[in-house]
Amino acid sequence: MPRTGVFICHCGTNIAGTVDIEKAVEASRNFPGVVHAADYRYLCSEMGQDLIKKAIVDNQLDRVVVGTCSPRMHEGTFRKAAAEAGLNPYLLEVANIREHCSWVHKDIEEATPKAISLLRAAAAKAVLNESLDAPELEVEKRALVIGGGIAGIQAAIDIAEAGYEVDVVEREPSIGGRMAQLEKTFPTLDCSACILTPKMVEAAQHPNVNLITYSEVEEVKGFVGQFDVKIRQKARSVDPVKCTGCGICYEKCPSKASSEFEMGLSKRKAIYIPFPQAVPNVPVIDRDACLYFTKGRCQICEKECPPQAIVYDQEDEIFERRYGTIIVATGFDQMNPSQYGEYGYGQHPDILTGLEFERLFNASGPTGGKVVRLSDGKPPEKVVFIQCVGSRDKARGMNYCSKICCMYTAKQAILLKEKVPDAKSYVFYIDVRTAGKGYEEFQRRAAEEYDVAYLRGQVGKIFPDGDHLVVHGVDSLSGKIIEIKADMVVLAAASIARADSPELGRIVGINSDSYHFFNEAHPKLKPVETHTAGVFIAGACQAPKDIPDTVAQASAAAVKAVGLLSKEFLKGEACTAEVNQAECSGCLYCEAVCPYSAISPVEIEERYQGGTLKRTVAEVNPALCQGCGSCTVICRSGSINLKGFSNEQILAEVDAICLQR
Amino acid sequence: MAERNLEQLEKIREVVSQDLLSGRIELLLGWEKGHYWWQSRPLFARSKDDLAKLTWDSFCAVNLSRYLLEELKDHQKVGVLVKGCDSRAFNRLLQDNMVERDRVVLYGLPCPGILDYKLLAAEAGPELKGIAEENGKIVLKTASGEVEVKRDQFLMAKCRECLYPDPVVYDQMLLEPQGKKEAPERFKAVDELETLTPEERFAYWEKELSRCLRCYACRQACPYCSCRECFVEQENPRWQGRAYQPSENFLFHLVRAYHGAGRCIDCGECQRACPVDIPLQELNRKLIKDINELYGDYEAGLDAELEPPLLTYRPDDPAAFSEK
Amino acid sequence: MSTALNDKTTGYEPLIVAFCCNWCSYAGGDLAGTSRMSYPANVRVIRVPCCGRMNPMFVLRAFQRGADGVLVAGCHPGDCHYSTGNYHGRRRLSAFKRLVEFAGFEPERFEVRWISSSEGDKFAEEMEQMTAKIKALGPNRKMRDARWQSVT
Repeated sequence: MPRTGVFICHCGTNIAGTVDIEKAVEASRNFPGVVHAADYRYLCSEMGQDLIKKAIVDNQLDRVVVGTCSPRMHEGTFRKAAAEAGLNPYLLEVANIREHCSWVHKDIEEATPKAISLLRAAAAKAVLNESLDAPELEVEKRALVIGGGIAGIQAAIDIAEAGYEVDVVEREPSIGGRMAQLEKTFPTLDCSACILTPKMVEAAQHPNVNLITYSEVEEVKGFVGQFDVKIRQKARSVDPVKCTGCGICYEKCPSKASSEFEMGLSKRKAIYIPFPQAVPNVPVIDRDACLYFTKGRCQICEKECPPQAIVYDQEDEIFERRYGTIIVATGFDQMNPSQYGEYGYGQHPDILTGLEFERLFNASGPTGGKVVRLSDGKPPEKVVFIQCVGSRDKARGMNYCSKICCMYTAKQAILLKEKVPDAKSYVFYIDVRTAGKGYEEFQRRAAEEYDVAYLRGQVGKIFPDGDHLVVHGVDSLSGKIIEIKADMVVLAAASIARADSPELGRIVGINSDSYHFFNEAHPKLKPVETHTAGVFIAGACQAPKDIPDTVAQASAAAVKAVGLLSKEFLKGEACTAEVNQAECSGCLYCEAVCPYSAISPVEIEERYQGGTLKRTVAEVNPALCQGCGSCTVICRSGSINLKGFSNEQILAEVDAICLQR
Repeated sequence: MAERNLEQLEKIREVVSQDLLSGRIELLLGWEKGHYWWQSRPLFARSKDDLAKLTWDSFCAVNLSRYLLEELKDHQKVGVLVKGCDSRAFNRLLQDNMVERDRVVLYGLPCPGILDYKLLAAEAGPELKGIAEENGKIVLKTASGEVEVKRDQFLMAKCRECLYPDPVVYDQMLLEPQGKKEAPERFKAVDELETLTPEERFAYWEKELSRCLRCYACRQACPYCSCRECFVEQENPRWQGRAYQPSENFLFHLVRAYHGAGRCIDCGECQRACPVDIPLQELNRKLIKDINELYGDYEAGLDAELEPPLLTYRPDDPAAFSEK
Repeated sequence: MSTALNDKTTGYEPLIVAFCCNWCSYAGGDLAGTSRMSYPANVRVIRVPCCGRMNPMFVLRAFQRGADGVLVAGCHPGDCHYSTGNYHGRRRLSAFKRLVEFAGFEPERFEVRWISSSEGDKFAEEMEQMTAKIKALGPNRKMRDARWQSVT
C-alpha cells in the first residue's frame, strides 16, 4: 500500500470558515493508505509548500492529497512542490474543498462531511496514481504556411525574420492572393499593389523563405513538432531556373482562356502569369487551353523562348518534407450570387459582384482601368450597390455577416465618383457596419462628400429595360417602393469559405464551423490556435475579415509558430491513453472516435499452441494523444485506459464518495 | 427425425465437398444432428466423411459465424454455411476486425425460420417422435398418429420477427432467396414495457433477471461479444461483482445490452442460449429502437461498410435528455 | 462520524454524484464557488477530462454503491475542448439514459447537462434542481448493492 499524506488548507477563513478542519484532518487519518495528515493556513504559500515537501521526506510519502482550492487553480503549484521533494508530480491529487465545497455551502455541518467525502475520494484515487512522464517531442525547425495571400506572406516574413526557415505553399502560379486583385484599400485608399508587392518581393527574396507556388498540400501526417507533409508541385511546363520572365512566350501565344485573376472578365493566354507583378515571375502553361497539349501543334512559346525554358514533358512532382508547425492561411472565395434569382446575376453583363467591379478600376484590369459598362463600354451614370447578398440571410442558411462589404462598397462608391464624376451611387443596405479605426469616418465621407445615397431596404427584383437595369426595392424606413433606373448593379456577394476547405481541414486536422470556415481553438483566448497542436490559422479562412485584421492574425499565428520552433523539445500530454495489447481485440473502434488520429493499428505476434499468431491491435501515439478518453468508453473490454483518469481511479472515486451511505 | 428437404441438403453437400476436396476451404462450419432429433449442433467438417453428418433442417439455429473467432486461428480458409442471421453476424465480425474476408467462404442459405421444439411439444404432447415438413406445413408424428399443423405458428420467437432471412453477404448462394420479410411486431414487447410506470418496469426486470445464473451463455452465443476478456471477468478493475444478487445481475444485463448498442444484429442467439428464458432481446431491441429513432435507421450487420451509429455523430444530433 | 446525509432526524438527504468535464462544467462549478453561489451539499463532483470519458458503467457503479441520482455535465455541443468528445458523449449517454429508464429507473435519477465554464449560475441551478427532484423521489433502491453499507 502506498504511503499517502493528506494536507488540508484553511485558505484563511475561506475553507476553515465553513469546514471543520480539525475534523477533516482526523477523518483523513483513517483513509486507506494515509500515514500522515496535517493542515495549514495557506498551503499555497512558500511556507505551506515547504511543509508539504518536508512531510514527504520525513514520512517517506509516495502519494500526496491536498485539500485546497480547485485543481484548475493550484494543481500546478502543488505538483511542482511535490516534484521538488523528489516525487513524481502526477502522484499528487487535489480535493477541491473550496470552490466545490466551502464557498457554496453555508452550514459547517453540511460542508464538513462533504469535504471529508471529497478528500476520501481524492485519497482513494491517489492510491492508484502512477508516475507519469509527459513525452518529449523533438521540433523540426521549419514552418509551413499554406496559402500565399497577404496572411501567408505576413506570417512567412515574420517567421523568417525570427530566424526560422519557412515554406509557403500556394496553389496559384503566383503569391498575392485576394489582396492582389484589389485596386485600393479602405479606409486610407492606398493602392493595394503599392503596399502588397513590396511584401511579395520581400518574401521571395528572404533567405529563410521558400516559395512553393502552383502547388498543393496533399497529405499531413505526424504531429506537433514533426508534421510530415506531402506537397504536390504541379507541372508548370516552364523551367523556373532558366526562365528570365521576359514575357515573350505569353506575348506570342495564340491561345486564350478565361482569366481567373480577372474574375473571368477578360482573357489570358494559355501560357501566362496571372497578373503583371506576379511572384515568381515565371509563367505556367494551362494545359487545358494550350494548343500543343490539346491538339499537338503550335509550340510557338518553345520556339520563341530565348533561354529555352519551356518543358512540355514536365510532370507533377510530389515531395515530402517535415515541418515543426503549420499555419493555414487559405483565404476565402466570393459567393456566386446566381442562385439569388432576384438579382439576375449572370444574366446581364452589367450586374457584377464586388470583386468583379473592383477589377474595373485597375489599370491592368479588363477595361484598362476605365469604369464602364461591360455591355456597351459607356461610363455608368447610376450605379446601385446591394449589400448582404448571401450574408445575414437566415432564410438561406447564411446567417453570418461578411464583414468587409460595407466598407469596400463605400470605397468603390468613392472611387467611382473620382473616376466618373457624374456617376451617382445608391447603396441598399440592412445595417451599415463600420467598426474599425477610421472606418466610420470613411463611410460618412462616402455619404456626405461623395453623394452616395444610402437606402435602408431590400431589393426585390432587377430586370433589364432597354439600356437600363431597373432596380425594384423597398425603403424599409419610409416603407416606400423605390425604383431606380440603373446602369450598373454591384452585388456585395458573401465572403465564403473556399470550396475545398473541408478537404484541407481533414488533411491538416482542423475542424470547421457550419459554413466551413476553420475553427479556432477558443473564440476569445485562442483565436489563431486550432484543436490540433502546432497548427494555426490566419486570415479569412477562419472567418471573413479585412486586411488589417488578417495581417494582425497572421503575425499572431507567426508568433505562436515561432514560440514553438524556438523550443528544443515540446512537452506532450502526460495523461494519455494506453492500450493493453494482450487484451485488445483489435476492433479499432477507438481509432474511429479519436479526434487526434492518435490511434492506429499495429500488428503483433502472439504465442499460440507452440507457434506464433499475428494479429492486429490498437496502438496510441502518446505524442498525438490529448487525453480526452473517448476511446476508453467505446472499448467494451476496457483494453484502452486513460492515464491519470483510469477506469480504476474513477471507480475508486465513486466507491469512496458513496462510502458514507 | 426432422428432415426437411433432402434435395437441398444434397445440393449443399455437393458444393461444399467439392470445395473441401479442392482445398478451397480447409474446414466447413455446418450443422449435424445432436442427441435429440430436435437439436442440430455445429459440425466441424474437415473431410468428405465428416460431411456425411451434415444436416440442413428446421433446427439449425446455432449461429455459426461466431465459431470463426476460434477456427481461423487453426485454419487458413474456412467455409461457413450462413443463414440470414449468420451472415449478418459475419458482417458484425468483419466490421469489428475479427475476421478477414478473404479467408472465409460463405455459402448462403436463405432460411425459412427455425422451429421451436417447446412449441411443437406443447401442441403434440410429450410423445412427439418427430416431424415431417411439406409446403409450409408440418406433420407432427406421435405414437397415436400424425397431425398436420401450420409451420408459421411454431417458429422460434427470434425467427418470427426476422427481417432478413436471406444471407446479406455470401460468396455463393446455394438456395433460392425469399426476399425481405416484414416484422411488424419486432418492437411490440418493448413498446408495451415502455407504457408501464418505472416501478412496474423495474418489478418486471427484477423478476426476469432474478433467474439469471450468470452462466454467460448469452455472451458465448453472441456475435458481438468478441472481447478477449469480457468485463465480467476482469479483476482490475473489477467492474462486475461476483456475487449472485440482483444488483450485479442488473449490472451485467444492462452492460451486456449496452455493449451491443448500434452493434446488435438482433439474431436472438443470446435469448435462445439462455437456460432460464430471460427476454434478453427486449433489452437489445430497446437499444436498436432508440438509436434508430434518435440517430436514423441503422440495421447492424446489413452492410459492414456503414459506420455504426456510436462511432460517429452529427453536430445537430438530438439527445435523450432535456438539453439540446 | 456524523454526516448530514445520514442524519435521520433531519429527514432524507440524497446523495448525488456529478461527473463534470474538466474544461467546462467543472470550471462552471468553480465559478459558482468564486461567485459565492450556493447549492445543496448533497452533490459530490468527480472530475473527468471530458463527458466523452463517461463510461456508463461509472453511473451504474454509483447506483450500486448508493447514489440516489447521477449527473453528467459537459461542454455545450460544439464547444468540446477535444472538439468531438461531447458529440460522442451525447449519443452514448442518450442511448444509455433510455436503457436505464427502460430498466425501471425514474428519468430524474440519471441526467446529462451542458454547462459551460461561464455558467456558474446554471451549475448551481442544476444542482439545486437535481437535488430537489431526487428528494421528491426518495431514496433509490434500484440496483443498490445491499452489501455496500455505511462505513463506521
